Amino acid sequence: MQRTHTIDREAVLWMLRRMRLIRQTSERIAKLYATDVMETPVHLCIGQEAVSVGLCRHLTDRDKLFLGHRTHGPALAKGLPLPKLMAELYGRTSGCSHAFGGSMHLIDTEHGLPGSSAIVGGSIALGVGAALASSLTGGGFLGVSYFGDAATNAGVFYESLNFAALRKLPVLFLCEDNGWSNVMPKSAHSAHDITSVAERFLPVLQADGTDVLSVFDRAGAAVQHVRAGNGPMLLHCRTKRWMKHQGPDRCDLPENAVDPARDCPIVKLEAFATRSGMVRADECAAIERAIEAEIDAAIAFAEASPFPTPELLEA
Amino acid sequence: MPWSKFQQDYAAPTGGRTISYCAAVREAIDQAMGHDPRVFAIGLDADDKFGVFGSMANLSHPERVLGTPIAENAMTGVALGAALSGLRPIHVHLRNDFLLVAMDQIVNYVAKWEDMFDRQVRVPLVIRSIIGRGWGCGAQHSQALHGLFAQVPGLKVVMPSTPYDVKGLFLASVADDSPVLFLEHRWLYKNTGDVPEAIYTLPFGKCQRLHAGEGLTVVAASLAAVHARLACEGNGLDVDLLDPRTIKPLDIDTIVASVRRTGRLLVVDYDFPFGGFAAEVCAQVAERAHGALRQAPVRICFPDRGMPASGILERAYYPTPERLAAAMQNLLDGAPVADDLLVGGGHGR
Ligand SMILES: Cc1ncc(C[n+]2csc(CCOP(=O)(O)OP(=O)(O)O)c2C)c(N)n1
Repeated sequence: MQRTHTIDREAVLWMLRRMRLIRQTSERIAKLYATDVMETPVHLCIGQEAVSVGLCRHLTDRDKLFLGHRTHGPALAKGLPLPKLMAELYGRTSGCSHAFGGSMHLIDTEHGLPGSSAIVGGSIALGVGAALASSLTGGGFLGVSYFGDAATNAGVFYESLNFAALRKLPVLFLCEDNGWSNVMPKSAHSAHDITSVAERFLPVLQADGTDVLSVFDRAGAAVQHVRAGNGPMLLHCRTKRWMKHQGPDRCDLPENAVDPARDCPIVKLEAFATRSGMVRADECAAIERAIEAEIDAAIAFAEASPFPTPELLEA
Repeated sequence: MPWSKFQQDYAAPTGGRTISYCAAVREAIDQAMGHDPRVFAIGLDADDKFGVFGSMANLSHPERVLGTPIAENAMTGVALGAALSGLRPIHVHLRNDFLLVAMDQIVNYVAKWEDMFDRQVRVPLVIRSIIGRGWGCGAQHSQALHGLFAQVPGLKVVMPSTPYDVKGLFLASVADDSPVLFLEHRWLYKNTGDVPEAIYTLPFGKCQRLHAGEGLTVVAASLAAVHARLACEGNGLDVDLLDPRTIKPLDIDTIVASVRRTGRLLVVDYDFPFGGFAAEVCAQVAERAHGALRQAPVRICFPDRGMPASGILERAYYPTPERLAAAMQNLLDGAPVADDLLVGGGHGR
C-alpha cells in the first residue's frame, strides 16, 4: 500500500497501547461478565480495535466523536480513562455517566466524547451537528460520526450525508463495517454498496479495518482533507467482529472464523513493529503486562467506588 | 373465513391447557397466518434464529415472515402501503423505543389514513412491539410509551397481561380493520396460564377483574397488572383490581362503576407520569364520579426522568409488588400514600 502518512515509533507505541487497552479490557469484561458484577449489556469490539485506534490517533480532544451502541473501543481510543469506563459498567457513581448511562451511553466531554446512543443511526446526525457548530463559530474542530454497516440502512444516514455535503461541513463519517447486524449478514441488510452510495455525496476512502497501519494512513488523509476545509468525507473500514453481537461469547458463525495472522490488528502491528526494528519484542510484552495492571487498578477503583443512592433520581 | 366468528366471552378459562405468554403470542401469530393468507409478518430480525425472543420461532408459514434492514420509519410506510393494498401486515419491533424512529409514519400516516379519507380505505395493520426493562438497558431500551401513543387518534393500544388475553387480543388485533398497536412486556414472556388451543378473539375495551374487593379500585395493565395482582393476593387486600387490557379503547364504565362502590382509586402505570395513561384514568373518573371519591385519586408511575442504568438506581426507579402493596394498604387505611411509594418512589414528581 502507498502510505501517505509516515509512521514513527511514538505513533506505533501509542496505537499498540490503545489497541491492547481495548483488547485486554474487553477480554477482562468477557471473563467477569458471568459473575454479574456488570449489570448492563456489552457490545464488545475484540478484533475491531484497529478502526477506532487508527482514527483517534489523528483526532484531538476538541474533535467531537459521536458513537452508537458499540462504545467501549472507540471511547477508550478517544481518551476515556479506563477507570471511568469500568466504574460505569459496575454501576458506580464514579462512572463516566455517573451510573445513569451503562455500557451503551458513555461520555467524556474533556476528551471530545459528547455521548453515545443505543438507537441505531441517530447519532450520525449529531456528528454533522457538531461540524455545523464548528463551521458557524469558526471553532476549528471536527465532528466525527462513528457507526456500523447496518446504520447505513437508516434514512438518517443519507439525510446526514446530504446536508453535510451541501454545507461542506467539517465532518468525518467513519463506517466500521464488521459485516453484520446482529446475526444478519450484510448481504441480507444492504442492497447497496456503502462506499459507492456515499460517493454520490462526498469523497470516500477505504481502509483495511483489521490493519491499524492501513486505518492510520487513510484516516490521516481523511482528517487532513476535512480539517483543511474541503468538506466532509467518509472513511470505510472493513473489519471483523470476533464476538457475538452482544455479550461475552465468541461468535460461532463459520464466516467469522478468526485467523490471527490475517485478522488480528495487534498481531499484525506487533509483527510490523518488531520486524521493522521500531519496537522490541520485550517492549511489546511489557506493554501487555502494564495494561493488565492498569485494568486491575481500574477494577479496584470501580469496586471501591460507591453505588448511587436512590435520592439521585430526584430531578 | 370471517374473523368475527371467533369472538369469545372474555372470562379467562381454568383447568385447560397451560402455556406461556410467549407461546400464546406465537400460537396467535401462527394461527392468524394459517387462517388468513393475507396475514404476513415483517420487521427487523423478525426472521432470525432467535425468533423475536421465541415468539416467532418455527412458524408454519416462514415464507410470510420477512426480515428488514434497520429502517423502521420506511418499513412502517411499507406495511401501511401493503395494508392499503389488500394484505394484513404484522409489523414487529423488538423494543418500543425503536417505534420512535417511525413516529412520523405511525402518527402522521398510519393513525390518520382512515380519518383523512373518511374511511374509504381501511388500515388492517398490527404494529407489535415489546417493552424492555432492566439489566442496565438504560433510557433508550426500557420505554413503554403507551400513554404517548394512546394520545393519538386512530390508534388502538392493546397491552395484555396474561397468556389468555395475549392470544385472544392478538387475534382480535389481526382481525381488526384499523391500526392496532400491540404492546407486550418482555417480563411477562415466561408467565404461564390457561390458553385454549382453538382460535378465539377477545373484545377491545373490556376490563378484566383480576382481584375482587370493596375498599379500593386499582387500575393497572400489562406488567403493572401482574404486580398489582401479586400485591393483592400476597396480602389479602380488599382491592378491586381492574386490568383494562386495552388502553384505548378504555373501559371507563367498569372503572367508574368500581370507584362508585369503593370510593377510592389508585392507578398503577408503568410509564412516565406527565399526561399519561394514569392521568387520563384519573381525569375521566374525576369527570364522571367526582362525588364518589372519598380520597384524592393516586397515581404510581415511573419518575419523570429517563431510566437509569445502574442496578441500584433501576431497583429504586421501578415500582415493585411490595411497594404497590404498601401503597394499597395506606389507601385502604384511609391514609395518604407514603411519599416514597409514589411515582417511582416519590422522586421526580
Ligand atoms: C433503530 C434501531 N433499530 C434496531 C436496533 C437493534 N439493534 C441494535 S444493534 C443492531 C445492529 C447494528 O449493526 P451495525 O450498525 O452494523 O453495528 P454493529 O453492531 O455491527 O457494530 C440492531 C439491529 C436499534 N438499536 N435501533
